[in-house]
Amino acid sequence: MQNTRNKEVYDAVVVGSGAGGGTAVQVLIEKGMRVALLEAGPMLDVNREFKEHEWPHQYNHRGAEEGGAAYFGKGKPFGFFSTTSGGWQLEGEPYTVGEGSQFQWFRSRILGGRTNHYGRMSFRFAEYDFKPYDKDGLGTNWPISYQDIAPYYDKAEDFIGVCGSKENVASCPDGKFHEPPPPKVHEALIKKACDKLGIICIPNRRAVITKPLNGRPACHYCGQCGRGCKTASNYSSSQVQVFPAMKTGRLKVIDLAMVREVLTDGNGKATGILYVDKRTRTEQTIQAKVVILAASACESTRILLNSKSKEFPNGLGNGSGLLGRYLMDTVGFGLSGYVPALEGMPRYDTDGAGGAHLFMPWWLWQKHNTLDFPRGYHIEIGGGYSMPGIGSYHGAARRFGYGAEMKKQIRQSYGASISFAGRGEMIPNIHSYCELDPTVVDSWGIPVLRFHFKWTDYEWKQARHMEKTFADIITTMGGRVSGLSAAQREADGISIPGTIIHEVGGARMGTSAKNSVLNGYCQTHDVKNLFVVDGAGFVSNPDKNPTLTINALAWRACDYINDEMRRGNV
Amino acid sequence: MSDFIPVSTIDRRSVIRGLALGLTSLGVMDFAAAQHVHTETNAEKAAGPYKVKAFQPGEYKTIQRLTEIIVPKDEVSVSALTAGAPEFIDTLSSQNPKLADIFHGGLAWLDAEMRKRYKVAFANATSAQQTAMLDLLVEAGRTEAARKSEELLYQKSAVYKEFGAYTVKRSGDLGPGIEFFDWVRKMTVDAFYTSPAGIKDIGYVGNGAYSRYVVPQAALDYAMKRSPFA
Repeated sequence: MQNTRNKEVYDAVVVGSGAGGGTAVQVLIEKGMRVALLEAGPMLDVNREFKEHEWPHQYNHRGAEEGGAAYFGKGKPFGFFSTTSGGWQLEGEPYTVGEGSQFQWFRSRILGGRTNHYGRMSFRFAEYDFKPYDKDGLGTNWPISYQDIAPYYDKAEDFIGVCGSKENVASCPDGKFHEPPPPKVHEALIKKACDKLGIICIPNRRAVITKPLNGRPACHYCGQCGRGCKTASNYSSSQVQVFPAMKTGRLKVIDLAMVREVLTDGNGKATGILYVDKRTRTEQTIQAKVVILAASACESTRILLNSKSKEFPNGLGNGSGLLGRYLMDTVGFGLSGYVPALEGMPRYDTDGAGGAHLFMPWWLWQKHNTLDFPRGYHIEIGGGYSMPGIGSYHGAARRFGYGAEMKKQIRQSYGASISFAGRGEMIPNIHSYCELDPTVVDSWGIPVLRFHFKWTDYEWKQARHMEKTFADIITTMGGRVSGLSAAQREADGISIPGTIIHEVGGARMGTSAKNSVLNGYCQTHDVKNLFVVDGAGFVSNPDKNPTLTINALAWRACDYINDEMRRGNV
Repeated sequence: MSDFIPVSTIDRRSVIRGLALGLTSLGVMDFAAAQHVHTETNAEKAAGPYKVKAFQPGEYKTIQRLTEIIVPKDEVSVSALTAGAPEFIDTLSSQNPKLADIFHGGLAWLDAEMRKRYKVAFANATSAQQTAMLDLLVEAGRTEAARKSEELLYQKSAVYKEFGAYTVKRSGDLGPGIEFFDWVRKMTVDAFYTSPAGIKDIGYVGNGAYSRYVVPQAALDYAMKRSPFA
């Protein structure tokens, strides 16, 4: 291996190009800095990667992939047409899981990372979400408050574009919204049921624009956000932040760069990044005045753990010994039902803006004394006439046998099923963490992560509340619950940790170097010119999907970096 | 629905292209290149009658008949046979020996079972014999599913440690047939409902491009009237 030194000293090097990295690049470039961006995957080729508007019948495999890979569980994680470049397992880049634990780690390897395909739910944390310990004595408070981050929620929403409506619901603060699309029929019924049950049901908030924004045309309602949006009418860091930044000539994007560690000078300062160029399998370095990690919560944690030196024998930013600790995912539980009222309805296009047009924010935030679990969850809705694809009617085929009767039944039941997915807050616990595996390295020679994870009673009880609530909504609509058996509940009664892909924590923020890795500006306590602007810094994992908060925190961190550089502090 | 830009009357891609003008100036998109993959995948279809790649003529005849029975022609649409299900199964099997073996083995099992019962291979049997056999497999499949769920339910219960405690009995020797018929059904419905005929049958009207999203009042009224909220 050779160690080729790149002579230029950048103002900043950013590792990872997802929500955090994309925002960092956008903000720093706007401030006139020269920035290097390292991405572990290839450059994004929108035309090759995004399969928007294609039909399954345009492929001989219809979406089952070469040799029917999808039938053998070897297709792409969310189907052939989705734009995920990555998955739960990556060739040559393993991770391990400790005995007695379950954890699945989703990694994207492409410019833009998971923002190319994510659900784009964009909820602000509530005021109380930043002070969870004050509310119920569990977990830890954030070192920042809602007031600190609110101006950055404004900036992020203004820039990426979020549709929604002002509702004045304390559990899910209002933002700066584009007009939301109207509810679909099944959603209108669900709202009626929710009204009856006292559950708040309001227009969804997603990073989809319904009027033009910065040269991006408005959504054209094909509902295929997950395939990647060729018109960039939804937010992806690749199209909305990185591509425009490249046009300035001040951004150097280095793809297929697998970062091994942060380099330091022996005097408590970071000097750059050591990475493996995947094309040549050679070690490379890049120098910068500021190092910004945004490789995803666990990948950034891994880089810090691997950045060992005489000065920092336990990894960088690990003075507290808490690096890797308090790893969290979202509590997930889903239930579906069949609604006869929807049978035989005149067909219409339910694709819409992608995802649901309504959702239910947590509605019991003032009634925790009546519940047997702390914290809350929001509810996401599924249903409608989706594009037929591989697997759409396997269940129906089994249920109805075969022949003319099956064909009739499939026609009749099309669009009459709805589903609910609960997305809840877990309490960080000492059993959930990642560390370096003592014996395993990846194909690039970099020690890999070993995960440990446990749900506690708090999460299980919350999932049971979800189950009862979803069943109540379905039956209130006159529907039939596709319920879980007792044994299934034991196996499927709560999501497998990691699978909601909201893994955050590992390098949490806090008030001092003793209780945390980062301060409120995403800056490591130990190294002043080292920042972590992805989900690693999260102190808690409220029921709001993390991306918008990552955008806002990264933006705030970069404003701070700019100020501190001008003051000569960084 | 008058607020929709009907995609059937305007070429969808030109709509998207229009919407995308802002971005094209950034050099991010090139729709001509996106067309490439379509042309490529459709090339084979234009090349004349389908050539079977993975199966013997006898095997393929049985596959054809099975797909026709699973999704038959009715007053609404054509059969899965007409919609290209056999070609779909053959193409994927030709790319994957594991999948091909599932079909080779399953077809051979089916013929052997038919000879045992009716002294004739599946493809040459009467319709009544064919459906009698498949009905057996469907029924046996349901029994096995019930048994599996019972196993799951009681696997931790002391009462059900004994094999004999299960209330649902095994379905006899039809196991390989259940598995095989499950494969044929899965792939047949996949091929049918992803085909233009299947999409029309089921009434999927999406994959469009509109300037505004509108929910038709007629649909809303229909469901509301049938719901408890009427």
